[in-house]
Amino acid sequence: MNPTNPTAVVTGASGWLGQNLVRHLATERERVRCLVPDTDAAAPLELISPVIETVVGDVRDPATVDRLFADVGAASVFHVAAVIHPRRSTREFFDVNVGGTQMVLDRARRAGSSRVVHVSSNSPFGANPTPADRFTEDSPYNPYMGYGQSKREAELMVKQANDRGDVPTTIVRAPWFYGPYQPSRQSQFFTAIRKGRFPLVGDGQQQRSMVYTDNLVRGLLCAERTEAAAGKAYWVADAQPYTLADILSTVRDALAAEGFDVADRRPPRIPRAASVLAEKVDAALQSRGRYVQAVHVFGEMKDTIACDVSRARAELGYEPAVSLFEGMRASIRWCRDHGERI
Amino acid sequence: MATMTTEVLVIGSGAGGAVTAARLAEAGRQVTVVEEGPWVDPDRHEPFSLDEMVAKYRHRGLQGALGSPAIAYAEGRCVGGSTEINSGLYHRLPDYLAEDWRTAYDIEDFGAEPLARYAAQVEEELGVSRLPTAPPPSSAALERGATKLGWRNVEFARVFRYDEAGRGTKQTMSRTMVPRAVAAGADVIPDCRVLRLDRKAGRVTGARCERTHPDGGRELLHIAADHVVVCAGAIHTPALLQRSGIRRNIGNGLKMHPTVKIAARFTHPVDHGDVPMHRVTEFDPYLTIGGSASRRGHIAMALAEASPDIVEPMESWENISVYYAAIRSHGAGRVRAIPGLRAPLVTYKLTEADMSRLAQGLVHLGEVLLAAGAVELYPSVVGGPVARDLDDLGRWWDRTTRANTNLMTVHLFSTVRMGNDRSRTGADSYGRVWDHDNLYVNDGSLLPGASGVNPQAAIMAIATRNCEHFLATI
Repeated sequence: MNPTNPTAVVTGASGWLGQNLVRHLATERERVRCLVPDTDAAAPLELISPVIETVVGDVRDPATVDRLFADVGAASVFHVAAVIHPRRSTREFFDVNVGGTQMVLDRARRAGSSRVVHVSSNSPFGANPTPADRFTEDSPYNPYMGYGQSKREAELMVKQANDRGDVPTTIVRAPWFYGPYQPSRQSQFFTAIRKGRFPLVGDGQQQRSMVYTDNLVRGLLCAERTEAAAGKAYWVADAQPYTLADILSTVRDALAAEGFDVADRRPPRIPRAASVLAEKVDAALQSRGRYVQAVHVFGEMKDTIACDVSRARAELGYEPAVSLFEGMRASIRWCRDHGERI
Repeated sequence: MATMTTEVLVIGSGAGGAVTAARLAEAGRQVTVVEEGPWVDPDRHEPFSLDEMVAKYRHRGLQGALGSPAIAYAEGRCVGGSTEINSGLYHRLPDYLAEDWRTAYDIEDFGAEPLARYAAQVEEELGVSRLPTAPPPSSAALERGATKLGWRNVEFARVFRYDEAGRGTKQTMSRTMVPRAVAAGADVIPDCRVLRLDRKAGRVTGARCERTHPDGGRELLHIAADHVVVCAGAIHTPALLQRSGIRRNIGNGLKMHPTVKIAARFTHPVDHGDVPMHRVTEFDPYLTIGGSASRRGHIAMALAEASPDIVEPMESWENISVYYAAIRSHGAGRVRAIPGLRAPLVTYKLTEADMSRLAQGLVHLGEVLLAAGAVELYPSVVGGPVARDLDDLGRWWDRTTRANTNLMTVHLFSTVRMGNDRSRTGADSYGRVWDHDNLYVNDGSLLPGASGVNPQAAIMAIATRNCEHFLATI
């Protein structure tokens, strides 16, 4: 275990995971240099702690990334910035997730960063071939759509940067996450479940790995400090995958425990074929550079996407401390406390 | 109609055709080479000059693959093919690509090790060398900029031989393999275009050609042959096969290296007679940065791609040099012969990932040129703002759109892929066209993907390998 690096650089610092990470780093580092996309995002971060410094700009822009790395020396770098739901076209996946990653790797090398922890995803690996299968660190790439392709290319560049001696890197693959500082699409998810409108695709027995943001932050810090993790990739998620039916009922329980009225009705059922169709529509749209978030998310609902975290546990000392029920409660409380309607 | 007979008819005289002709003629086969373009004395034209473009390029260098955006491409059309007009940069096929292709297309006796053997033979024969002296300023600029940024860069070897005074001569096919073929008894017929191949029961019996005489008169010529090897390049090889009725897996899956450019103005004059031999390899295998031919005409064309107002920058054209970033593309294209038209229809579809990679290439190319001391950068993007410092480069990302970007390529591949997987190839592992006993392809069309580097070395090594197989079996 390396000692705590006093300086951290975080891209995507004002995003969902970024905010969780930065708040944690602010309690234990001397300097946390944050990249944020606009000035509106900078002020709230700077209020958290005097150790937080913000740089406003685009991760694709060489001058911006130069400023991000100016005078930070051998910092730990957490590359969190990415596009998951593009606003205009699928081109943004590649611009930011590939082009931005290249820019960060190059500046981290020049600055002499001690470690780049790169946040990746399950999407470079598609869906599990069978319900019993679990992704491990040895699973082959099978990228799902534009996002999966872009995150796969980013992983390859991150690995190459380590292997050719540019900068030590570790990849952390996170599945679907939940927790505070979520975007408003997440409160819509809670609302839909509370009202009994969130549909179950097929029999609801397809499984999903999920990760509570605080568990994921712990995983990122383990990846930063473990000397032997350089050049490797790890799945970081909650201890076990859940069935979709379980996720829905746990969220219902968590909503009830937080005092919400939960509609007493069975979730609507949608045949699996509809999700298969959505995947086809998504593929056709993406081949024309178009992206419709609802179609994309619905197309993925039919699949099992589950990973095995035992290597992160064994090699990084990662322990997922928060369970789904507690994590969802914390997430729901955050929505309520921040004026989100559920 | 005039007629003649030969044992082996080789169609095309570039890196594939000239090697094929020399190998087979030297093994004692009777070889006839037909070349659509003229036989031009390689010393007659200034390299990369406009004269040369008129004399040796197909359509004077003006051709395009249709798509959004369209991609301009250039091909040699003369004895020696594109080896007469290219920069002579020599790079063996990367080992990992040879291995990838072998497995992906089930290519027999293929891979890093056998190809290295053939490449070594070609290098020995042609002469492949690095500069005996300091690099020219245009090339030194790339080295200087890359070194300053800590980016990997390399001086590429070239197919050049140097005399005692240090003067280099590019070892084009018209200086090497074509004379060797002729010395071994091959006939070379320039200005002779093949209209179509005659076929009968799974065999090719000969070729119908149109020969142009020095006075401009044309005659039809029929050449009967025991074996026909088509080496007309990745555009015209599939077009000829299609015109002859051979279409299965022919002309699909066109691959290329789409390329963006920057005209960079320095504070001092740069050279214009040569093409930079330094390359930035930091972003391998995704994109490559290098220098382009930068005669006055090239500079004017490159400036015009950024903005129509080129008068002011042209006043200091001697301080300007043109550089490029070329990508490995996820996209693919098609070649289709159109009845009644001499030129086939070429289309290419770039993916969103390709467009992003081109923008990335442009930004990185800008970085290295600024680091090298360039003071003004004109990107090949319409209205792409002229960049003077690092803060300007980021704006290129969103300007590099399908509507604004001018693209070109000089490397074309994969229209008659080779391999045992018949569902995805047009020819077997040694270039024999499927379902034909005596018809072969032996040029860049066979490469199942883009080579990532200048393909001349790969084309010559693979052509040598296929000739060895031909001689051993037929």
